Amino acid sequence: MGEGTIQIKDLVKVYKDGFTAVNGISLKVDKGECYAFLGPNGAGKSTAVKILTTLSEPTSGIVQVGGFDVKTDPDKVRWEIGVVLQETGLDKELTGREILEYQARLFHMTRRMAKERATHLLEMVGLENEGKRQIKKYSGGMRRRLDLAVTLVHEPAILFLDEPTTGLDPLNRKAMWNEIRRLNKEEGVTVFLTTQYLEEADQLADYISIINEGKIVASGPPEELKESVGADLITFEFKNKEEAGKAAWLLGKSSKADYQKGKIVTVSIQEADRHVVQLLGALSREQIEVARLDVTSPTLDDVFIRVTAEEEKE
Amino acid sequence: MNLVQAFMIHTWILTKRSLIVLIRNPFTFIPNLFISLFFLLVYTGGLSGIAQLPQFEGADYLSFILPVSIVSAAVGGAGGAGQSLVRDLESGYFARLLQTPVTRLAIVLGPTIAGMLQLIVQTLIILGVAFLLGLKVEAGPGGVLVILLLTVGWGLAFAGYSVAIALKTKNAQAAQAGTLIFFPLIFLSTTFVPLELIEAQWLRAAAIINPTTYLFESMRAVLIDGWVMGPIISGFAVIGAVCAVTVAFSVRSATRAFKRE
Ligand SMILES: Nc1ncnc2c1ncn2[C@@H]1O[C@H](COP(=O)(O)OP(=O)(O)OP(=O)(O)O)[C@@H](O)[C@H]1O
Ligand SMILES: [Mg+2]
Repeated sequence: MGEGTIQIKDLVKVYKDGFTAVNGISLKVDKGECYAFLGPNGAGKSTAVKILTTLSEPTSGIVQVGGFDVKTDPDKVRWEIGVVLQETGLDKELTGREILEYQARLFHMTRRMAKERATHLLEMVGLENEGKRQIKKYSGGMRRRLDLAVTLVHEPAILFLDEPTTGLDPLNRKAMWNEIRRLNKEEGVTVFLTTQYLEEADQLADYISIINEGKIVASGPPEELKESVGADLITFEFKNKEEAGKAAWLLGKSSKADYQKGKIVTVSIQEADRHVVQLLGALSREQIEVARLDVTSPTLDDVFIRVTAEEEKE
Repeated sequence: MNLVQAFMIHTWILTKRSLIVLIRNPFTFIPNLFISLFFLLVYTGGLSGIAQLPQFEGADYLSFILPVSIVSAAVGGAGGAGQSLVRDLESGYFARLLQTPVTRLAIVLGPTIAGMLQLIVQTLIILGVAFLLGLKVEAGPGGVLVILLLTVGWGLAFAGYSVAIALKTKNAQAAQAGTLIFFPLIFLSTTFVPLELIEAQWLRAAAIINPTTYLFESMRAVLIDGWVMGPIISGFAVIGAVCAVTVAFSVRSATRAFKRE
């Protein structure tokens, strides 16, 4: 049935104090897909993850995870999912091996199976030599890796990761990415992750939704999202403000001269490298001298800044 | 695996975890045990003269003060249950447990059982020391069992209270402050002298409404007078009633804590 899938329809979450943290979200994640929620602090990412993972109840809307309704069948959902929350959930007095074995036992494994699973997972996250040490002696990166391992004890079909690399150094971040990628691509685990890093979403996700103030403000595959923002950006710099003003007017006729700021004029245009020659030609015909020229393809950062800025204007 | 089996395994796993954590942090129980032994040694040594007063009816002061020592140690063991839950709430392990199929009751029961086991061991140590000091239990080995049962009952009552405070406040300081109720309970009672010797009317009134008084009196009955059923039964009855209240209180807080926001 819905194994490995997520379906949300018109999800709303109003906290007890009356604050609306999620305000009408609908989405669908297929089996084996990697889906990313990208949004700034307070966007509602963790709230959504808590609802999807049965820690919090939706105020209204339909949420199905692994084919089960989170409201009516939370216990069945729990067998389908693994959750890495923003804060690790480890009893730091225990050793890495102990916490893995207990987790396995809580998921109804026999003592022998629990031991084997713990050994396997410790190896998988590169902690095979740390299993006997107390977690309070682990570094932050090691704790994150162990937290992921604990999450995987019962081989969930869907993995939720709430900001899995926040606070990790670049090396540990890369290692975490590789592990997520491996689980997603090789083991076919459906991944739902939230992040504030565009690069992270771009690197890992098949599909990205940008969330701000509880709403999805833009979504699509990474490539499409980047294109939708008006593709490339050409930045012209002129000798002075007057020249720039003339140029902006001129460029505005043949393309979209986005805006002028002092001596700078920016133009966003699809396939900029083909158009730039034409634009330069138009400028030189009017004897406007270009002091500096820069062509950039948009990053997800641009998408993000743009979309959230548009939201604020409304 | 059926539900009962799962429940037993879950409870066992979480009890084992609490015990391991306890053993790794001996300073969570050593000071408490030390204070209780201090009561026993210092007051027996320093105050035993007052047992000559007629109101003591010839009782040994050691037997008189022993229940105070045992009960004060029990509070420490029982309070640990609540503190362990606060620790889990703060570390995020509580949320992690909620995302497993673990029986909710086992999450609370694990630390509680561990607390009870700790309390039994402490009581046995204190009794052992008391025997070395020359303790004689009038009611015999059965009397020792009565003392253990009363202690566990009282511990359970206090554990229920500490779990309730912990789950209600979700805050380590508040849970810690909650254990302060221990002072009036232990000291506004027939702690050092029998009721007849308490002259201040307010203290006498406090001792009469304080459930701990009945606990002390029933323990003293088996230690000093043997199988005098009156005080023994009222001791169990009072503890049963207090247990019922605090356990109900903790179940209510637990239901709230487990309920999804
Ligand atoms: N229990 C709660 N009660 C009331 N409001 C809450 C609660 N939890 C979160 N909020 C509010 O809901 C909004 C969304 O919070 P949420 O934690 O989902 O954001 P987030 O996108 O995960 O942010 P971050 O990147 O900082 O983790 C915030 O404004 C937050 O203050
Ligand atoms: Mg968050």
